[in-house]
Amino acid sequence: MAASAIRLPPASRIERLRAFTPVIVLVVVFAVIGAIAPAFLSIDNLVRIMNASAIPLCLALGATFIILMGSIDLSVEGVVAMGAVLTALLVQNGANANDLGFLAIPLVLLMGAAFGFVNGVVHVKLQIPSFMVTLGMSFIAIGIATVMLAGERVRITDTTFRELALGRVLGIPMGVWVALAATLVAYVIQTRTRLGRWIFAVGGGEDILRLTSVPVGRVRILAFTLAGVFYGLGGILSAAQLGQGHALMGQGRLFTTITAVVVGGTSLMGGQGGVQNTLVGVLIVVGLANGMVLMGVPPYVQTGVQGVLIIAAVALAVDRSRARIIK
Amino acid sequence: MNPAVAARLRDVAPILTLILLVLVVGIGSRGFLSPETLLVLAADTSTLFIMAAGITFVILLGGIDLSVQAVASMSSVVMALLLPSLGYGAFPAALAAGALLGLANGLAFTRLRVPSFISSLAVGGIATALALAFSGTRSIPIGEELRHAYLWWITGRMLGIPAEIWLGLIVLAICLFVERYTLFGRWSLAVGAGEPAAVASGVPVALVKLLACVVSATLAAFAGMVLGGRLVAGSPTLANEFLLPAVAAVVVGGTALTGGVGSVWRTLIGALIVSVVRVGMTFLGVDVFVQQIVLGIVLILAVWITIDRAKIPIVK
Repeated sequence: MAASAIRLPPASRIERLRAFTPVIVLVVVFAVIGAIAPAFLSIDNLVRIMNASAIPLCLALGATFIILMGSIDLSVEGVVAMGAVLTALLVQNGANANDLGFLAIPLVLLMGAAFGFVNGVVHVKLQIPSFMVTLGMSFIAIGIATVMLAGERVRITDTTFRELALGRVLGIPMGVWVALAATLVAYVIQTRTRLGRWIFAVGGGEDILRLTSVPVGRVRILAFTLAGVFYGLGGILSAAQLGQGHALMGQGRLFTTITAVVVGGTSLMGGQGGVQNTLVGVLIVVGLANGMVLMGVPPYVQTGVQGVLIIAAVALAVDRSRARIIK
Repeated sequence: MNPAVAARLRDVAPILTLILLVLVVGIGSRGFLSPETLLVLAADTSTLFIMAAGITFVILLGGIDLSVQAVASMSSVVMALLLPSLGYGAFPAALAAGALLGLANGLAFTRLRVPSFISSLAVGGIATALALAFSGTRSIPIGEELRHAYLWWITGRMLGIPAEIWLGLIVLAICLFVERYTLFGRWSLAVGAGEPAAVASGVPVALVKLLACVVSATLAAFAGMVLGGRLVAGSPTLANEFLLPAVAAVVVGGTALTGGVGSVWRTLIGALIVSVVRVGMTFLGVDVFVQQIVLGIVLILAVWITIDRAKIPIVK
């Protein structure tokens, strides 16, 4: 909680304990699964968990900024699909003559930023609740991704580019390093920039903030743009990892993303939580998924488990004194 | 423009839009205005309308239900699995499965105080997991004999009109009755119009919200059955493309996302508009995937026009 510009009033012992709940949950989850299936805690499997966490982490980092403001972003799957398709079409591939290599990265990030920007502008200027704007935008983005490929999929033939996810440094996949770098960037933005502090302030109490000189609308638009960049990065990593791009590549990502953020302890009401919580949340969700597979639970059960997790985490985090009307 | 005229205009705008669209598409393509094409269009709209009618009740009180497509798919799986053993019993079983998910959603929404968009998203995930588990991740075909024996009321015709249209009309009649002449219907509007006032005047707000979620999921399950009957199969991804048009139908019809304003009647107009726009685009040769982009934009615009900003001082 080093982040919040507005210091919360001195917390009671229970509240301080509450801040550490996600970490305790993480330790318990890993300990319990490790006790049932010892293979879970082997080095190989831990690396596997890290690798599987890379993309969800990038996406959840973006969503964290939005949820910190008390808004929500449902456009994750659409922007990831767009990012993956655009990446696949820009590097050496089986469908056209492009061969931009790593130059594709800034272009795709820019596309993500553009989508996020539109999300933010429509939300702020037309005063439409964010869940509706981003839901519509997600359908639009998947539509565009599908049209770009006419429903087909493209294979990436650029092996150097795929090293971005598959190559290993110190025995750990590149994708993990990329995600860690993204986490660091997100943490710096959250703690060391004006935007980061304003995002917390917007989530903490927008009505009061409007009386100050903080440009609330601009903060919201910027936050959505920033989130788009992180989703774009998620799209790039997905394309590099799977070696292809198609319009359904984001499927299932939204669910994991939101589960990770709320399980990590970032409140849907806004103003509480942050990047460090999201890191813990992603490890809980991905660790649980990996553990269930090790214990022989069919993979599709995970969607259901995540659904229960979302409800439980949100229900436990609802600050009943602040929210009297829940819609 | 004076406010009364503006409000009146907003009232009739959806139906004017519908008439205009039908005329434009009718002039653009000769075949469109033939009785047979119009019947097919109405039959196609029926499933969409049934699903959207359910969501209407939740939106009327200011919430949202994002679980409908998952619930519909799950219900089609339950129906297809149980038809061989239970016969007609498969239909109430599928409806009950939907109602139970609606109950879970409603309890999370009212008891655990989870906002409806997130509780319904989560329950949708649970519904998908159940559908995948029941079906073993496969599509379940319904045999020819079973279809003849039990699905006549979905796939047949009565008085020369496809059965689906009758089903849609029955749902419309029941929903209109519930909305206008029952306590639940009146209370829904009251909660949407102003929740604090509704609480103060003794409306059992939590119960109304819970019921709305159950109604929405039950109608989604019914839509899933009709869709499964048409496609002669149950599948965990059967209704996957339905959420966008269903929410669009409600909002385009003029039911405001902020609650308190709207009706199932408007949803019917909205569903017809969505259908005519789709068919019109197909007639004009617009790619199916581009249609999704257009619908997404239409949805955002419709929300923008209908939303009541006085009710949400801070838009999150």
